[in-house]
Amino acid sequence: MLIVSAFTNQSAVQSLTASSAEGVLLSLAAVVILMCAFACLGSKLFDRYVAYYALQSAALAFAAAVVAAHSGEVGLWILAAITLAIKALAIPLATRRFLLGRFHLKRDIALSTGLSRSLIAGAILTVFAYLTVARGTIGVALVSRAVVPIAVAVVLLGALCMVVRRHTIAQLIGWLIIENGVFLGAIASVATFPFIVEAGVFLDLVAAVLIMITFVSGLARQLAEASASELRQLSA
Amino acid sequence: MMVALAIALVVLPLAPALASSLTARARPLGFTAAGSSLATLAVAIVLAVRLASGHRTSALSGFIYLDSLSGFFVLTIAIVVALASLGSGAYLRAEEQRGELSPLQVRLYFIFFALFASLMLGSFETGNLGLLWVLIEASTLASCVLVGLEAKAVSLEAAWKYIIISSFGVTIALVGTLFLYYAASAIAGSPTEHLTWSYLYGHAGALHHDTLRLAFLLVLVGYGTKVGLAPMHTWLPDAHSEAPSPASAMLSAALLNTGMYAIIRFLAVTNRGLGSGFASDALLVLGFLSITIGALFLVLRVNFKRMFAYSSVEHMGIIAVALGFGGTLGLYGALLHTLSHAIGKAVLFLTSGDLVLRYRTRLVAEVRGVFGAMPLTGAVLLLAALAVTGSPPFGLFLSELTIVRAGFAASSPALVGLLLLLLVIAFVALMRACAGMALGPPSQDAGELAGDGADGIALPYRERSSRLLAAAPLILGLGALLLLGLWIPAGLNTLITHSIGVIS
Repeated sequence: MLIVSAFTNQSAVQSLTASSAEGVLLSLAAVVILMCAFACLGSKLFDRYVAYYALQSAALAFAAAVVAAHSGEVGLWILAAITLAIKALAIPLATRRFLLGRFHLKRDIALSTGLSRSLIAGAILTVFAYLTVARGTIGVALVSRAVVPIAVAVVLLGALCMVVRRHTIAQLIGWLIIENGVFLGAIASVATFPFIVEAGVFLDLVAAVLIMITFVSGLARQLAEASASELRQLSA
Repeated sequence: MMVALAIALVVLPLAPALASSLTARARPLGFTAAGSSLATLAVAIVLAVRLASGHRTSALSGFIYLDSLSGFFVLTIAIVVALASLGSGAYLRAEEQRGELSPLQVRLYFIFFALFASLMLGSFETGNLGLLWVLIEASTLASCVLVGLEAKAVSLEAAWKYIIISSFGVTIALVGTLFLYYAASAIAGSPTEHLTWSYLYGHAGALHHDTLRLAFLLVLVGYGTKVGLAPMHTWLPDAHSEAPSPASAMLSAALLNTGMYAIIRFLAVTNRGLGSGFASDALLVLGFLSITIGALFLVLRVNFKRMFAYSSVEHMGIIAVALGFGGTLGLYGALLHTLSHAIGKAVLFLTSGDLVLRYRTRLVAEVRGVFGAMPLTGAVLLLAALAVTGSPPFGLFLSELTIVRAGFAASSPALVGLLLLLLVIAFVALMRACAGMALGPPSQDAGELAGDGADGIALPYRERSSRLLAAAPLILGLGALLLLGLWIPAGLNTLITHSIGVIS
């Protein structure tokens, strides 16, 4: 109930209606973002996770660009460009090169539930997001009414990814999906934070991903060494 | 002038990071860290004295903002940084001599220790809630490098668990901040003002109630993950146990308080906007859950670093409960407890560093007779454990007494009874473990180690300067705790009173 009425006050920033051209494009981008989250949840291959995340980030950059075109804010244009460069290109490339390529990771076998079951759980979470958020009264004609529930659903789906997958890379991608959901919600409801803050958030994200990649590769190397030593013991 | 001091406070701790570009030896880096942290502490004291009178400074449209509450936390964290830096010099040098840490690891330690300290101190100096988030998340990242420093499979796993759970939690806090921003965007003002704490606090009455409620809950869960409030505390024992001990001291005594500071800022806005009932209930629930979990896991008594970590969960719960009781007494108790616990836990974790170096184990059962083998460490272990469990005449006794009084003032005697029961359980469990370790005949391992000593190597620290660096924070910290239990300096009293004035 809290979430329902939380959106009742009018946001001063958003005047984007659902029927305007920008509104349609924004909803479209949001749907692509949601589908990517589902695709990630329904996949077992590491390079797919990364690919879907890259596509989702590109859609997010597009969404930011749409809102930027509508409001004419320079800061938003810059953010759209940074999103494209870092989230859609740099992070996926780094993950592929430094983790998947180096350790020859292909198939994720550390799932705690079956794919179909996690997809059903994902669908339930999406419906839950709609029921709790959309019934509220974000101005009926506003595009946020459609997009904010999607953003909440994406956050929940990302969390689900982290819960049902035990592999570190899958958890990393799950967290990045959550981050994308938060950004989508921010874009759709209040445009964004002031630029300096937004830039700081991005900086943190990049630092976090770098550190996570280091840890994961450290862990992977140790595991590889452990299994190699096992092989030696057996042959002796 | 204030702004210059504020900048000095975040720049000074960075000196060891700069020095590490010149050398990778623990000895000079340790001395640099000790010197810079003492200089930082001096600046923090000057700042706190100026802010104690209720003075406020704001610059760069609220991105730099200091009031009495900032002054109080700056002082607390600067004390912890000073204690932990002194301990770092000794600990890292011992590890380096043993060949446990490579030059790169020593260098990384001092770089990220410096960054960690600077980012935490910086987060008390901003009035912008978005920048606060950025700095707190950045301090998580800096500290997780320290947790994973030893690069063994266990420490990497602990670091991974820490970074993924904390980042997730802090992302939830970002959503909460976003909601508050959304609520504020309905009031007149610029986007930057909508994230500025003093502006939000001033206009708290105009914020939409349900949005504010949701924002507070999200922030409580999000930053609560950093504070280690149950049930979001699961990363905490692992990270505290695997980090090098001076870094554990920083995590437990400084990082957790940084999260609590963020919660207090949001709490003030929420209480102003909604009245105190809602936020208090949420804090009491999480607080009691944390105290319960902390006290019950203390009973296990397996790994002493994990025990100290669970004791931190318990104490963060006590602070949350004190904030939940509210009123002047509750807030006074919460702040006093923050300071006393920070010093006590820093001392306790630094002691655990001596134990880990000497006995090469973290298991309670394998450590016996510390008092005989290392008289100072043994005595401090026993006294600090007494202090942390709230025994007189130490500072935590006084703050816990204040919190109990606040509970009676809030007319919840049943809750006070529960609190006292849990405190007794925690006391018995922690004291049994620490008394067992400190007293009794030395364990056999210690006998073998004493054989080492016959070669002219006095374990765990070989040089006199190392021993001095290791002993100084223990004695100074314990002295400060004793002082806080017997007499609260007038300046500190003014600082705390004005801090309460800022948030209520």
